[in-house]
Amino acid sequence: MRNDSKIAGEFLARGRSEACPVIDMHGHYGPYRAIYFPKPWADGMLETMDRCGVVCIVCSSHASLVDPARGNREMAEVVSAHPGRFYAYCAINPNYPNVAEEEIRRFGEDGGFVGFKFHPSGHSYPITGRNYVPALEYANENSLLLLSHTWGESQYDGPGLFGELAPKYPDVTFLMGHAGYGEWDSALAVARDHPNVYLELTAAHRVSGIITRMVEEVGSHKVVFGTDLPWFDPLYGIGAVCFSRISDQDRHNILHLNAERLLAPFREPAQDGGRHS
Amino acid sequence: MVAYLRVQAHRRIVDWFDCNCGFGVPAKPLGGVLRSAADLIGELEFCGVGEAIVYHVAMEAESAQVGNRLVCEETADEPRLHPTWAVLPPQTEELGNVHEFLAAMREHDIKVLRAYPEEHRYRLDALTFGPLLEELVPRRIPLMIGPHWQVIADLLADFQELTLIIRNHGNWGDDRYFRPLIERYPRVHLDTSDYQQAEGISEFVRRYGPDRLLYGSGAPTLQMGAALLSLAGADVPTEAREATAGGNLRRLLAEVQL
Repeated sequence: MRNDSKIAGEFLARGRSEACPVIDMHGHYGPYRAIYFPKPWADGMLETMDRCGVVCIVCSSHASLVDPARGNREMAEVVSAHPGRFYAYCAINPNYPNVAEEEIRRFGEDGGFVGFKFHPSGHSYPITGRNYVPALEYANENSLLLLSHTWGESQYDGPGLFGELAPKYPDVTFLMGHAGYGEWDSALAVARDHPNVYLELTAAHRVSGIITRMVEEVGSHKVVFGTDLPWFDPLYGIGAVCFSRISDQDRHNILHLNAERLLAPFREPAQDGGRHS
Repeated sequence: MVAYLRVQAHRRIVDWFDCNCGFGVPAKPLGGVLRSAADLIGELEFCGVGEAIVYHVAMEAESAQVGNRLVCEETADEPRLHPTWAVLPPQTEELGNVHEFLAAMREHDIKVLRAYPEEHRYRLDALTFGPLLEELVPRRIPLMIGPHWQVIADLLADFQELTLIIRNHGNWGDDRYFRPLIERYPRVHLDTSDYQQAEGISEFVRRYGPDRLLYGSGAPTLQMGAALLSLAGADVPTEAREATAGGNLRRLLAEVQL
């Protein structure tokens, strides 16, 4: 039986979809030590986004994951230059709690920031550790998004840890980056059981059958799309969504509707109209 | 409107030929499971892919002897699936000596071989595989191998004309590893199943032309439609898209002299 999805058909025919725009909830910015990127900067990323029908992306710069004071400013400049196309997460490095406090204090001074980005594995610091508490409390008080790297069986950001945090910070929307890659049973259970926990697809989308499982066991209203751009081709991830055994309504939810709902409090119109047509 | 129609038309690829997919029951599934050739056909049809060269999971996970037999048995009545075989060191003669192995390949029309040096615990080098590789090179029989970059570099230094297909190279773009090989050795090719690098395909084609990439899905471990849409929407000329989707693999298979 041939895939009869209208969305898949449109992406195959044109490389993008008028009916189904895409919002990328997990982006980065700039070069990174371990990988060659053809287009790591804003203009190149926008070319890729336009080609694939990605109307906007929420990023933390690679610099911000090392040196947040420098990297968050870099990201603020990108957002300022491309309002409505780029949004940002304020990265927190728990190994420098004084810097983190200053970044929290500054939150809101730069437009287009929608919440925080944690990378507990990268910083070798558990998401349940005390140095993350100020950012979690601030995010809870201000109903912000929190995108965290997650990975299966990790002592720093395994999916089970989010089951501990979600009820303590009920007004934080937790996006489990990479959907707890590999520890699927636990990740899906946490997202199913906690209304403020979402599964984010970057890298996870490559795994055959996992998107269908997410939709069946958690619901497509709890899954958001991401690519790590400038890492992964958006069409690779979109293809995984389009050719999963789910409905077109599920595809709409995953590719843009859930993100539109989450970003609504922070949205600005794209100055260039989000050239996705 | 004319330009729009042209764009629509050029993305429609008719001839999808998957260079990297399989079926069989794995001990521990890493992704989806396609238990049988019929299951794989169902997935290929869902994605609009017409043909594939295929492996049986048992070739890697159980033994080359059993897997090579199963892949032939289970695809015997399915002309859309073309079996591949795993290799083992000729010295142990588990798959026969070199001449017996080649004769069996002719009998079963096996045109592509796969090497699993880590899983099957051997050295893929001239010392171990010289007698077989000396036959594969002039016969232009492609050998598929995962991204074991040092093994590949050493192997190609000794067999520069070997037809090699590097499969499943990492989702962390491996350009820093493979570009030197592509530039030095003209018969090295890349499967696209896990080549997720944003703008990777278009950059590659601009730099190295349309002949070196082969569409692969990586199924059943990888989601079959992912690499497919990545190529369908890549910013490359129509000829390059069609060559990668199936034309390059057909050319390589046509060159094989069993």
